Amino acid sequence: MTVRRGPRPTSDRLRRLLVMLPWLMERGEVTVEEMCHRFELSEAELVKDLELAAMCGLPPFVDEMVDVFIDEGRVYAGVPRLFTRPLRLTAPEGFALLAAARVAMQLPGADGGGALARALQKLAAVLGDDAVVMETSQPPAAAMVVDAARRNERLHITYWSPAADRRTERDITPRRVFFDSGYWYVIADDHLSGEERTFRIDRIEHAALTGLIDEPREVDVPHGDTWFADDELPSAILRVPTGGGWVAERYPTRSVEPDGDGWRIEVTVASERWLRDLLLRLGAEARVVEPAEWVHLGTSAARQLLSRYAERP
Amino acid sequence: MADALERITNLVALLMETRSPLTHDQIIHELDGQYPAGDAAQRGAFERDKALLREIGVPLESEVLGGNDAGRTAYRIDRGRYELADLQLAPDEKAALQLAVAAARLADAQFGLLKLGGDRSSAPVVVANIPDLPALPAIREASAARAEVGFGYHGSPRRLHPFALLLRERYWYVIGIDLDRDEVRTYRVDRMEGDLTVGEPGAFERPVDFDPRATFPSDPKMLGEEPAARAEVLVDEPRAAAIALELGEAEVLSRRADGSIVVEVPCANIDAFRSWLFGIGEHAEVLAPPEVRSDVVAWLQAMVGAQ
Repeated sequence: MTVRRGPRPTSDRLRRLLVMLPWLMERGEVTVEEMCHRFELSEAELVKDLELAAMCGLPPFVDEMVDVFIDEGRVYAGVPRLFTRPLRLTAPEGFALLAAARVAMQLPGADGGGALARALQKLAAVLGDDAVVMETSQPPAAAMVVDAARRNERLHITYWSPAADRRTERDITPRRVFFDSGYWYVIADDHLSGEERTFRIDRIEHAALTGLIDEPREVDVPHGDTWFADDELPSAILRVPTGGGWVAERYPTRSVEPDGDGWRIEVTVASERWLRDLLLRLGAEARVVEPAEWVHLGTSAARQLLSRYAERP
Repeated sequence: MADALERITNLVALLMETRSPLTHDQIIHELDGQYPAGDAAQRGAFERDKALLREIGVPLESEVLGGNDAGRTAYRIDRGRYELADLQLAPDEKAALQLAVAAARLADAQFGLLKLGGDRSSAPVVVANIPDLPALPAIREASAARAEVGFGYHGSPRRLHPFALLLRERYWYVIGIDLDRDEVRTYRVDRMEGDLTVGEPGAFERPVDFDPRATFPSDPKMLGEEPAARAEVLVDEPRAAAIALELGEAEVLSRRADGSIVVEVPCANIDAFRSWLFGIGEHAEVLAPPEVRSDVVAWLQAMVGAQ
């Protein structure tokens, strides 16, 4: 259950009530527990809102009261003529439902049984032609990784590790697979390090099933806004020209400030290699302001690469 | 004074049941004692209630009366527009939608699903983080209604007949006919500026076979004057297998004894090409054509010289 702090805004309570009432009318009788779970409310919140609803309805315009009462952990509802149907879908709800259905059709291991496509057609009846197209290209290993995650089966993989800049062979037990910002990731038990690790699936060069099944284990998938924004990782302050603003759109930042004709951006640094490659891409007009140990990182990377080109003019 | 939730629920019931629209005074009278005392406080509370109803999507209709009440505004809620039609989702369709919503983890989808009578699914193995932007729902609605949209972009106003929304890689794009340029244009939704304006429905027709994916290349390296331009790149053994996987075997021109490979890569957009190249760090070297090779060398020399 979601834990909220502070009073719930009236808009949120009304929005929920207008869905709760028709659902309750249709059921007639339901446990408090089930309702709390379904509508993500605490028992106190649910009881408060239902008691209020029971006082609603007013003669002469409305000659039937909303008839709800709670007894021994069960909710009972009568059948007024009002609030028999939920409020229509709002624009954000409609968009989010369509986006969810569209993306689900493209997930690895998605059941293409057609039920989702039929549901989408019915949704279009109330939302109009959807006009939402999603592209989530899948790396070759994705299907096998998802398959292994469903069964908690160990995989033997060949993986290029960017921080170490080398290829490793390891066994992993995939737990959850997620798509974020154009890439597919798998959260897995890494039997090489003995820790939970997140791997980019497109960096898995080879994968093979081992037949070894591990115990199921629940893991959480980070949400888009928290992913990678790890406070424990170091950061660097960069000065980039106007054209380097894409850094802030693409990577997690801790601060972005205008600085003359450019930007001063504090980026989270996943690894020194990542920062080095970023500096190469930004070119001569960008520089590291701090920390001191990385001030010359870009230049030395450029010098090293140049020596390679000098060998074969 | 009643809890605001009770008052607003009563207000919704009243406005749904009334045959003719009710004025502010009539509403205050009907909801006797539920609004705070005092004219100003009453007005303020009523304005907040109206705003709240519109915020959660209640189709509150208002009209300016004539006759004896000339100039007064009256309100009602059209029940036909308020109620969600029963979509008659079959159990397997509902289940599929539930799974989709659980996988996409968008709060609004979760709530929309409740309205459709769906349940919450337990955490699925595969999930997707979809970038959420405030303008997306309104653009989608405008596109479905075939209504013109207006927004700012790079400091100038744009008018667009939005054909479709496309999520590609990490960004949302809106694609349609730019009315001032009279051609199909693509805009990044996260770069739109100012408020989105939406025109009247039915303003345009979308070509039947329109496919937003085909309007611009999915590979940013191809976004240039000569989309067919290619460069030859040597990739060292440590990254060879991954790059061959990424590009596909067809792009591998040769394999060398030391495990390195030579691949062919689009370079119409030199910035995107360089960005891709430096993502391979010291393990990649441009071999040809000479002008692309010298571009990379000049880029690196500028970096060294700038120090």
